[in-house]
Amino acid sequence: MKNKIWSAAIIIIIIIYLLVPLFATAIYSLFQKWTEILPEGFTLRHYVDLLSNRSFLLSLGRTILVCIFPIVITVVITLLALFVVTIYFPKLEKYVQILCMIPYTIQGVILSVSILSLYAGAGGFLGVRQVMLIGAYCIIILPYIFQGIRNSMHSVNMPMLIEAAEMLGSSKLDAFIRVIVPNIISGITVSSLLAVGIIFGDYVLIRNITGSAFQNVQIFLFLAMKRSSTEASAVFVIIMLTTFLITALVLYLQSRDNRQKIESKGR
Amino acid sequence: MKKKRNVAIYFLALLPFLVVVLLYEILPLVMMIVSSFRSEVDKSILFTLDNYITSFTRLAYQRAIINSLKVTAISALFGIAIGFIGAQAIHNSTGRIKNVFLTVLNMTSNFAGVPLAFAYMIILGNSGVIIQFAKTYGLQALANFNLYTSTGLNMMYIYFQIPLATLLLVPAFYGIRKEWKEANLLLNGNGFTFWTKVGIPVLLPSIFGTLSVLFANALAAYATAYALLMNNYSLLAINITGMFTGDMTTRPHLGAALSVVMMLLMLAAILINNFITSQTSKWRWR
Repeated sequence: MKNKIWSAAIIIIIIIYLLVPLFATAIYSLFQKWTEILPEGFTLRHYVDLLSNRSFLLSLGRTILVCIFPIVITVVITLLALFVVTIYFPKLEKYVQILCMIPYTIQGVILSVSILSLYAGAGGFLGVRQVMLIGAYCIIILPYIFQGIRNSMHSVNMPMLIEAAEMLGSSKLDAFIRVIVPNIISGITVSSLLAVGIIFGDYVLIRNITGSAFQNVQIFLFLAMKRSSTEASAVFVIIMLTTFLITALVLYLQSRDNRQKIESKGR
Repeated sequence: MKKKRNVAIYFLALLPFLVVVLLYEILPLVMMIVSSFRSEVDKSILFTLDNYITSFTRLAYQRAIINSLKVTAISALFGIAIGFIGAQAIHNSTGRIKNVFLTVLNMTSNFAGVPLAFAYMIILGNSGVIIQFAKTYGLQALANFNLYTSTGLNMMYIYFQIPLATLLLVPAFYGIRKEWKEANLLLNGNGFTFWTKVGIPVLLPSIFGTLSVLFANALAAYATAYALLMNNYSLLAINITGMFTGDMTTRPHLGAALSVVMMLLMLAAILINNFITSQTSKWRWR
């Protein structure tokens, strides 16, 4: 019993510690000024201003755009690669895994400057900054997408399902597209959402590769911070709400999956 | 004959993956390593160790490496300690409070970088909310707090390590069995002896695994430090970026050498962790 009270106290202290910066900034965004103990003058003007600010809406649009392309590309190439490797070249799986895990150790700073110094001078398609950015995002999210897809392929026992489909007269590729992909779609969704969270929170890659000419919401927040803290606080709240929404969706999908697994085991 | 053609087709399905990985992961890394051995002054020299010598001997870069290691070590140690206490508390509690805590941890695990630096400026910056509060009530020590120093930086790094550390340690606690606690009590042990003699040794591989993730996480962090201190503080990640995108002349080869140093530090953390994990698991299952 004493243990429980202690644990509850510790948990509450950590929760408060983690939430203070968030709530303080959220409250800050809803008032005209906060220079005394209590904030004064409730207002939604910061949000109204922000949501009618063209360059903010553009940066939001760009962020969504640079989320979609890398995620679609990475999911498709990883699906194809893992399908071919598990079915036809099982010996290669180890190498694919290593390739997918390297980005963990290099991370944003090194990846962005190495891509930049390699392609910045190159002409043509590869030298286009946005293309470089999309390539960099594909690599940064690769470990998460790879693990998500591989884990769900293992959990549905892909080789056996494909064999069963083949006995019923379908081809391997057909079986993969019509049987495997629908079965692992929730795993793909969860890892894609994690990837959205990563790209949405990115500052270093976009800053180094495209610079402030191609702003995402993080760069917008960075520049807004220098202009006015009230404007920036509204940007902050919108960024955090979006991030939380994505996390909540991931948690919901994961718990639903676990429930289904437990139910099907119980049967 | 048909089989051979099939293999070619299957290989074709692997090709897009290989192309993307080659173009944006392997080639940039290899070129980076090659470039780190080229001279910054004389373009005709293809292999020199000058950049590495400069990285380790010039005071400015030494400081960057030391500062990076310092903030990484401090934040990882505080992170793991608080994460351990938090995960233990989760292990001991049930129901609603546990779920709320896990949700808060998941939500704040993405809270880093520019938004985190901004939130800290709002509460602890020069005219921050908490600072104002301290001034009004005459709490001098707190009122004189300066966020724009290495202390402020440490605080923010510790903040983003806590959710990560806790979430990574929670699964490990499932391995602690109730029977062991009972056996410990039967043998006249108390809570302290249980954790020092049984609990922590059993969790050691997970603790080191988490430490290496925290280490990599802090070493590579850029946005949090840059948003708070801009270029006024010497850190490996900030120096590297400055050498490629700076306002003044860029020094890509020296930057490449510093990048390789940073990668080696990451690699060292992973290898040390693997070594310790293999040692401790050998001992565990003997």
